[in-house]
Amino acid sequence: MGPPLPTTWLIALRSLRRNKLQTILTMLGMTIGVATVLTMMALGSGAQKAIQDQVKAAGMNMLVVTAGNYQARREKPPDDAIEMGALRTPDMTGRPHLQLAAFHPEDDPFAIHDHPVARQRLGDSEAGLGAAATLTIPDADAIRKISGVQYVCGGVHMNVHVVNGDTRWFTRIHGDDSSLPNIRRSWVFQHGEFFSEREERKNEQVIVLGTIAAAKLFGAANPVGKTVTVWKQPFKVVGVVTSSSWMVNPAEGDDQFDAVYIPVTTLQHLLNLSKLNDITITTQSTGDVTRVANIVTNLLRQRHHIGADNPDDFTVASQAAKALASGGLRPDVAVAVTGNVDGMEKVTLDQLGKTLDKSSRTMSALLASIATVSLIVGGIGIMNIMLLSVTERTREIGIRRAVGARAHEVLLQFILESVTLSVSGGLFGILVGVIVAIAISKSVQWSTSISTMAVLLSFGVSAAIGIFFGYYPARAASRVAPLTSLRFE
Amino acid sequence: MSVISVRDLTKTYKVGEHSIHALRSISLEVDPGEFVAVIGPSGSGKSTLMHILGCLDQPTSGQYFLDGKDVSHLSDDQISLVRNKQIGFVFQGFNLLTRTSALENVELPLLYGASNISASERKNRAMAALTAVGLESRADHHSNQLSGGQQQRVAIARALLNSPSILLADEPTGNLDSKTSVEVMEIFQSLQRERGITIVLITHEMDVAKYGSRIISFKDGNIVSDTANESRRHASGELEDLAGEDETERVA
Repeated sequence: MGPPLPTTWLIALRSLRRNKLQTILTMLGMTIGVATVLTMMALGSGAQKAIQDQVKAAGMNMLVVTAGNYQARREKPPDDAIEMGALRTPDMTGRPHLQLAAFHPEDDPFAIHDHPVARQRLGDSEAGLGAAATLTIPDADAIRKISGVQYVCGGVHMNVHVVNGDTRWFTRIHGDDSSLPNIRRSWVFQHGEFFSEREERKNEQVIVLGTIAAAKLFGAANPVGKTVTVWKQPFKVVGVVTSSSWMVNPAEGDDQFDAVYIPVTTLQHLLNLSKLNDITITTQSTGDVTRVANIVTNLLRQRHHIGADNPDDFTVASQAAKALASGGLRPDVAVAVTGNVDGMEKVTLDQLGKTLDKSSRTMSALLASIATVSLIVGGIGIMNIMLLSVTERTREIGIRRAVGARAHEVLLQFILESVTLSVSGGLFGILVGVIVAIAISKSVQWSTSISTMAVLLSFGVSAAIGIFFGYYPARAASRVAPLTSLRFE
Repeated sequence: MSVISVRDLTKTYKVGEHSIHALRSISLEVDPGEFVAVIGPSGSGKSTLMHILGCLDQPTSGQYFLDGKDVSHLSDDQISLVRNKQIGFVFQGFNLLTRTSALENVELPLLYGASNISASERKNRAMAALTAVGLESRADHHSNQLSGGQQQRVAIARALLNSPSILLADEPTGNLDSKTSVEVMEIFQSLQRERGITIVLITHEMDVAKYGSRIISFKDGNIVSDTANESRRHASGELEDLAGEDETERVA
């Protein structure tokens, strides 16, 4: 027949209420401990997430399918192939002279040519490759349906004059899908936003300016709502985009911010085009890039009816190697990565991801262990107070025993007191920790991330500390003899 | 049948190599409704007797029957239950919980002893007990906001809450002035008179002992005399006299 828990709880709460200041101070120790743990964990996992985001922003999960195939192995040229640029001596005089081509059609199979025809120059299978436009929007739509693919964006790229009144600026124009900002994770919009899916669908003449292009055309003014002219067509400016990443700084002549963006459909409609230059694909997870690349390759070969013996008419390239080689990563990260892996060229995406994950997890563990120390200090604080109060409250324990409290009721009361202290201290700590973490990410711009797991863990640990550090003092209290305690003055 | 029946009770303390015989083979019977005053100088063993009678301590040898049940060799939990249900304590130092209201102090015994009593009934019973000692208006006062006499009345209310078989009072007037002492004695006498409660009062003052109906004298751990009190003091009459004196003083 144990004591009814609610009654003992009531006794414990009344006792805590009697010593308000002591209760609050003890709780404070616990609050600080839990808040520290939670903040540290938030910073740790925030850093981990930030690194993962940076990896994604650096394009580690990105694939670019380019039309044409510069890297296809050349087929054996036909027997009568002529090396380009070689000097011929058809008149047998022995004097070399440069061929002057006169116009005549090559498509007459019976004509005899004094110069190498296309077939001889390239080989049949290579004709039309390289800068060929072989990708289409339906190709992009088909890729979008592959599992593991996050975003797909087909693009057409060329150079244009963008005109604002008397100001002209020669820059890159990108016809892109409205999902592009999802792929360019480091983008932020200084003004306005990217064009919408609806505007893309309706071939609307809307334009997003890179921050450099916007500065060249409009100076410091906000260009959103203004109109610029491209190909003698008016385009309404809907946004200005810049970089939020420390890895990419907008610069004159770059491809992202000294550039303008219009819906790919609008571009195709205006210029009467049906092909894409490239298709950019992101995968949901970094380690999935290789698998998705293979699927994309097979799918496109199938869609383009390429026989087994023929090379691809497109190129699938992942961005990881490029990012590593071109210094897209922060120098220290790149050094860590290259230093940890033998042969940089052999770095696979999986290895890279794992290395980054491992280093950030080490940091999280370090932060968590520092915080755990403060949690233990909080727990010892509770134990100290409880032990002290057993001595201080010997008389009280005696009174309780005299009116009939059983030893285990006293034990339970003291444990409940310490658990109440630690748990309510812990709850406050969770509150404070969340607020501090949010404040840190707001004020210093460090990324923090509070997981439900971390909150539950903090709560569980504080309850466990209450029981663990409360048990010894409680047992001491329950062993106080009823008589000795009454003599205690 | 006796409420208290003590046979050959011995209590020996060991201090270093010396043995102190606090009680030397005491035998004692107390009938229901008696008001027994135990008197003796300090060190005579009267306090030790009270601790054993109150189940706060266990005898070295001998037997103690409370309400006919041998309580001298019970487990700690069982003895706690006996203290909770059958014994009410009033101490010299009041022994109230500090920074706790009078009402919560009186409620205390109901929180223990596995008594499943609702909060409202607990409060009602505590309030009734406070009313019985005339302190219903002080229910929310903390113990340190009450005078000594009031604190002792709260302690009496607490002692009576579970309707115990015996009320044990250890020097209940030791910290009180003479008028307040008479007031407390008046409460004891009316409890005996009106509710037939058995009271054991421990004191070293003969004046106080004379309120009892029977006086037992202790010396060196032995009972030296055990007699009915022929010249009993009556607190209610003395209170009237005191009130009269106050009036006379005021007139003068």
